[in-house]
Amino acid sequence: MTLRKPLLVGLAICLLGAPLLARAYEGDWKRGHVYYRMVCTECHKGQPCGVIAPNSLTRAEWTAYLQADKHAKGKDSLKTYLGKPFRASIAGTNKAAAKFADVPDEELYADLKAFVMRSAKDGDAPTGCR
Amino acid sequence: MVWGPIEGEEGAFVLISILRRSALAVGLFIFAGAGFPGVAVAADSVDHSRFKVLRKPFKSGQEVTRACIGCHSDEVEQVMKTKHWTWEAMNPHFDQKLGKKTVVNNFCIGIASNQPYCTSCHIGFGWKDNSFDFTAQENVDCLVCHDTTGTYRKPPGLAGHPVYEEMEFPPGSGTILRPVDLNKVAQNVGKTSRYSCIACHSYGGGGDGVKHGDLDSSLQVPDADTDVHMDALGLDFACAKCHAATGHDVPGSRYAPTVTRRGAPPQSGVPEKRNPAICESCHGSRPHSVDTVAKIKPLPGFTTVAMAAMVNNHADKLACQTCHIPAMARGGVPTKMSWDWSVAGRMGPDGKPIEEFDAKGHKIYDSKKGAFVLGENVVPAYFWFNGEVKYTLLGDKVTKGSGYTPINQFGGSPTDGKSRIWPVKRYRGVQPYDPVNQTLIVPHTYGTDPDAYSVSFNWEKAAAAGMASAGAPFSGKVDFIRTEMLWPLNHMVAPRANTLTCNDCHNPRNGSLSEGRMKNVPGLKKGPLFKSGR
Repeated sequence: MTLRKPLLVGLAICLLGAPLLARAYEGDWKRGHVYYRMVCTECHKGQPCGVIAPNSLTRAEWTAYLQADKHAKGKDSLKTYLGKPFRASIAGTNKAAAKFADVPDEELYADLKAFVMRSAKDGDAPTGCR
Repeated sequence: MVWGPIEGEEGAFVLISILRRSALAVGLFIFAGAGFPGVAVAADSVDHSRFKVLRKPFKSGQEVTRACIGCHSDEVEQVMKTKHWTWEAMNPHFDQKLGKKTVVNNFCIGIASNQPYCTSCHIGFGWKDNSFDFTAQENVDCLVCHDTTGTYRKPPGLAGHPVYEEMEFPPGSGTILRPVDLNKVAQNVGKTSRYSCIACHSYGGGGDGVKHGDLDSSLQVPDADTDVHMDALGLDFACAKCHAATGHDVPGSRYAPTVTRRGAPPQSGVPEKRNPAICESCHGSRPHSVDTVAKIKPLPGFTTVAMAAMVNNHADKLACQTCHIPAMARGGVPTKMSWDWSVAGRMGPDGKPIEEFDAKGHKIYDSKKGAFVLGENVVPAYFWFNGEVKYTLLGDKVTKGSGYTPINQFGGSPTDGKSRIWPVKRYRGVQPYDPVNQTLIVPHTYGTDPDAYSVSFNWEKAAAAGMASAGAPFSGKVDFIRTEMLWPLNHMVAPRANTLTCNDCHNPRNGSLSEGRMKNVPGLKKGPLFKSGR
């Protein structure tokens, strides 16, 4: 009983204050790097298009690519390859997909975006295929 | 409850402990998690974005450091005593002053007169020439090690400064570098990471993977095959996991290598002065248990107990790295195996400097630097090594002959009781030397002034400028000499399945070591017979 009042106060602060102070998830570029390297690059190694280095595109080009959401020249959606169903489908053979199986789609998208923005040709730390 | 500034992990732990005891804890944690995602992991690193002193625009790195010193004055003093700051180290076995400030190598050769380029990897700001003030605390660069944003970098030519204003780099390339957001970086400092260490330690010698052979950018996000300890989806070790610093002094320098350690591994939490950055710190000196050995195919007539004993006995004479680092440069980044400065200066048909690349796009010739030979998945050379390394320093007499002049020499023998066979990158070069004084030369290789070789393509001018900066005599004559440098391998530890096996060294027919990897290692006796091989 003695805990009831403070608990209610805490919850009230939470409900009233959180929307005011909450900020958008900014993206974890390190996790994005792991996904890019271990999922995107691993798959691209066996594709005709080959591996795409983050620093082969500028930030503007990456932004346009992400906004277009077209993978394989428009054959499918890029977000498909970041989604939980795709990760679940390859989790048996891809350790990164298994490790990030439960990461929300929008977080993983933000992670990947943060990584390619940082690692683009004109980014803060241009990064090759590694 | 007193709310004051929280400094260090201890403070964060205290805060969390207090909150957990409070009936408000549940609600506040939900609240904090919604508004400030970083708070939930405050125990791992203090959230510096809360500190007013960091919530302001910074115009220079020194301004940031002055803010850091407000709370971390002891830490700055610690840093200024380390090799990362002084670039000086004493050879523990010979009366030699070593460190980047002093040594000569056969990559970029030496820092004298070339400081603005070399010191992009110094943990300081403004070391552009011999007048740099090593006593000024504000010159210490905290961010280069503690940045977590991955946006802080220091291009060559800026004497250790990051980019403050938009600039074209390299000049004439059309590539524009944007200024680093010092405010953002300062508010997001944290523990060192593979990214922060690799930014310098994998780019020595002028590029990715050039120098060490076991350090390159593939270790930012390595898989298990590249390094079983740093595997990003496995153990995910940061560099500091093994190179555990005390007072900002990072152990594990190759200027004072630890070749072997007998006895039990150190106990967790028990301080000691021994180098922790060696395999035995975690694995002990008899690391192969019956359980681990049982997973490999036993030799005929060997029980698993006998197998474990036999493999452990090998550890008396073989460094762990010998079997567990079967090849270097395994992450897809080539390492430089030789560099010939003597062929620099060849121009294109238009009389301008040229660059040439191999089929994979790796540079193999540069008019300003000479010719390179690169290698991937390179099998190491093997040496008996007792931890003693003697360097050839500027001023030491060298003789041009048919062989290679050693830049460094490893001590060791099969009979001294303290040496082990060690895998080594054997790197060779052809570099300028003074044939009259019979000394190596530190030339002014790079710069925008007329004495720099990259501008004048004149070795005599470059040598005169470099040797003057080094305070060393120069006859005015330049010749070239073949040199060799040895780099012990420690990283890129392979998974168990990819380690060396008996037959990599022992001939399966007669046990002889004359045909395997150890064929050039002196003092090895004929081994046992392995009829079935492994």
